[in-house]
Amino acid sequence: MTATDSMIPAPAGFASPFDVQTPAGADGWQSLYPYYALLSDERRAQDEGKFWFFDGMHNPEPLFPFDTIMTENWWVAVSQMSTRVWPIPTALGIDHRIINGYLYISPNAVTDPEEIARRAVEFGKRAGHYYENWDEIYEQWVDKATDCISRLKAIRFAPLPDIEPESSVFGHRGVYSSYDLLTTYGELIHNLFEMGSYHFEMLNLGYGAYLTFREFCQQAFPGITDQTVASMVSGIDILLFRPDDEVRKLAQLAVDLGLTDAVLGSEDPDAVLRLIGEREGGARWLDAFEAAKDPWFWFSTGAGYTHTDRAWIDDLRLPFTALRGYVEALQRGEDIRRPLEAIVAERGRVTEEYRSLLPTDADRDAFDGLVELARKVFPFVENHNFYVEHWHHSLFWSKVRELGDVFVAAGFLADRDDIFYLHRNEIYSALYDLNIGWATGTEARGVTYWPPEVERRRRVRDALKRWSPPPALGTPPDVITEPLTVMLWGITQETVQEWLGAGDAASNELRGVAASPGKATGRARVITDPEQLHEIEQGDILVCRITAPSWAPVFARIGAAVSDVGGIMAHTAIVSREYGLPAVVGTGYATVTIRTGQLIEVDGSSGVVRILPEEAA
Amino acid sequence: MTTPHVLWLDDPAAAGNRVLGGKFGSLGEMTAAGFAVPPGFGITTAAYRDFLDGAGLAEEARALQARAAEAELPEVSALSAAFTAKLEAAPLPAGLEAAIRGSYAELERRSGVEAVPVAVRSSGEAEDLAGASFAGQYDTYLWVRGVGEVLRHVRRCWAGMFGTAVLTYRPDPGAPPPSDLGMCVGVQQMVDARTAGVMFTLDPVTGDRSKIVIEGVWGLGEGVVSGDLTPSRYVVDKVTFEILRREITPQDRQHRFDETTAAVGLVPVPAERRELSPLEDEHITQLAELAKKIERHRGAPQDIEWAVAENGDVHVLQVRPETVWSRRQADAPIAAPKSALDHVLARFAGTSIAAAKS
Repeated sequence: MTATDSMIPAPAGFASPFDVQTPAGADGWQSLYPYYALLSDERRAQDEGKFWFFDGMHNPEPLFPFDTIMTENWWVAVSQMSTRVWPIPTALGIDHRIINGYLYISPNAVTDPEEIARRAVEFGKRAGHYYENWDEIYEQWVDKATDCISRLKAIRFAPLPDIEPESSVFGHRGVYSSYDLLTTYGELIHNLFEMGSYHFEMLNLGYGAYLTFREFCQQAFPGITDQTVASMVSGIDILLFRPDDEVRKLAQLAVDLGLTDAVLGSEDPDAVLRLIGEREGGARWLDAFEAAKDPWFWFSTGAGYTHTDRAWIDDLRLPFTALRGYVEALQRGEDIRRPLEAIVAERGRVTEEYRSLLPTDADRDAFDGLVELARKVFPFVENHNFYVEHWHHSLFWSKVRELGDVFVAAGFLADRDDIFYLHRNEIYSALYDLNIGWATGTEARGVTYWPPEVERRRRVRDALKRWSPPPALGTPPDVITEPLTVMLWGITQETVQEWLGAGDAASNELRGVAASPGKATGRARVITDPEQLHEIEQGDILVCRITAPSWAPVFARIGAAVSDVGGIMAHTAIVSREYGLPAVVGTGYATVTIRTGQLIEVDGSSGVVRILPEEAA
Repeated sequence: MTTPHVLWLDDPAAAGNRVLGGKFGSLGEMTAAGFAVPPGFGITTAAYRDFLDGAGLAEEARALQARAAEAELPEVSALSAAFTAKLEAAPLPAGLEAAIRGSYAELERRSGVEAVPVAVRSSGEAEDLAGASFAGQYDTYLWVRGVGEVLRHVRRCWAGMFGTAVLTYRPDPGAPPPSDLGMCVGVQQMVDARTAGVMFTLDPVTGDRSKIVIEGVWGLGEGVVSGDLTPSRYVVDKVTFEILRREITPQDRQHRFDETTAAVGLVPVPAERRELSPLEDEHITQLAELAKKIERHRGAPQDIEWAVAENGDVHVLQVRPETVWSRRQADAPIAAPKSALDHVLARFAGTSIAAAKS
């Protein structure tokens, strides 16, 4: 990437992925995942020579068999853009392996200069077309995305009827509920792959334009922080702020309608909604609440890539915590609206000042061009998250649960969420099994086959959960150039060095990316499941694998945030800027090094987290 | 109107006035602009010239300077010693002495402190001109108390003009020797600094103008200026005021006024401070904001001496134009100019945007 990168000596390797031991109680874990995602002896030489890093950012937990649909989607969808569609001169796709249930990924680079030159010609034509017509293509993208979501919304799953409805017969359809079940399932799966493809249509290019601007700033202003670079191009009306803005508006409305005591009357959202319903003016608030919910409460509490990332709409406690906070702030006479004009003015000031500090006119011209291009691509980069991960994927998970109910009704599963222990291709088989039982009147094999199999898989996955995945395996490359690796996962040559060093000595210090400046000391609260968010107490320091924007309500309570994974464009970075909390991301090992209750110090300016001795308390 | 022998920093005529020399003229300008400069007055270049004329030493001074330009070092040293001895023994014009006494008494009145401790420092006409750094070539005397001591040190400053180093300092062979120029002596109330140091409104190593670099030590700033203490170092973003780096150097000795010797010297740093950063974040930010304001006011990169008093007040002790990077074009950060789109396409093709560092 730059001259300095290549001067860093190539580190010795990490453990071979083939030397990773299966944790106790997890024997046979491979049967949960498709054959092509597993390490295999015949590909040993190839796989050992590659650098595999743990994608804890999107998949902090062992994968549920069904949830591999997300990782398998981008395995193709991200990769094909780089390898075949643009093609990106220096990068092919990103390969995947599932190891002990965790996702490890490895970017493929193009190194032959002639091949790079050939690809660069195609890339210039194709990417140039996208950059030059960006706004128009983005408009089309929003149309495609919302259309895809509306088709997903229309999908319904219902248990097979005891007897086929008359309409099938008298309408001469010729196909029946069994066929509908199969095709609707096919639609659901293809709908995910459709959105999954849109996801990456423009993303690499967006990141690339931003990354170029960022490199320019780092070159001109060495040491400039990532959040400052981002602040020059990020929008203020981005969709990720919308859910929180809606809650602010609902808080104001509750105050205006005199409903504050109802809002503050209970911590249980259902109880609050009941109380409001009984009040004069309550109906108006409930209407506004319903209007805000769709789509803005389709807001995931995680990265959105796993079914366990519940959305606000599934669990109203998070938005209601925020609602109470805003109502209390309004009662204290505070202005809870985001100071949009001030934010815009500050963005202008910061940009103009850096520009004025450049040494030459040529530099200022380049800066102007790159800021403009980065600002052009940024609305997509920032907003795609809401359309794809939050709105679409949250809705998708709810549809899969609806299908889970079909299996529960047929006796295949004890609980709707058990469906996530089946791989999507197994579900196709299970549906056929179910159809056979329905069609023939014989009990389907799934009734006896799946319940014990689901229990076995649950035990295996629970055993995998207790294993701590190392941040990397295999042989690191001399130079890391793949743009997504750097931007999304925050993995650079320095990160690799840090990880290699971290294994050497037991240390009370962790290093990561300085994501949000400031210093804070407090008790650690290690969160491995969004369910635990409710345990957070005032002033705790959040320690997690990765945060999600929808955790925002707990940000008001914590003193600082530390995560294992994440780079400059991780979802966390955007919200950290908004909340102004010290944060260190990409530490690699925080959740396994730090224990809940330990006193820790977070320096979000230098990227250092220290575990303090108790005497210092 | 005759040029005054004494000019106060807060006199409307003081700002940038050449008779105060570079250092004090700048401080006059800072005072006029409302920055927190400790109060004081300058004994002007006119006073210096009148003193040399009155003592009949002006002609001899010129001869000495001419000779020093050609002579070998041992001869310059001998000539310098002989002349400075004469100069220190010569009487002051009566009017000048009265003016200094009156001004010091006024400073005592203003500060409410009898025998108020002052810094007595030379402020040459040439020293702070952009393009000529005379750092360390002139004298500074700290914690001078009582008018008798002030008068003695004023004379020592004048004598410093004829020290070996100044007589032979010739960065540019075509320019006149600096000792040829006039000299003002500044008398300024001491700040009993808890922490002090210097700061630059650019990164002195890379020339990057988006940074403010602060170096500070416990105690008076003399250790930073003279280089006998390793300061703690802070890098602040000039646009956002984020503190980008903190390099804390543990410090067990500091320059402070020592009651036992009645002079400024190296004394122990209290044990509880030794490992701590001599500046808290709040002061780092405050200093950086001050540096940015001063740079903006003066329209060019500056280096600034500062002190934080025990009560937390921040004082500006000296400002001068930065002399290294101002004369040189900083390296352009980018390679060949091209359109933003071409930069991005090249980036994807594996070409860094950075200009190659030769």
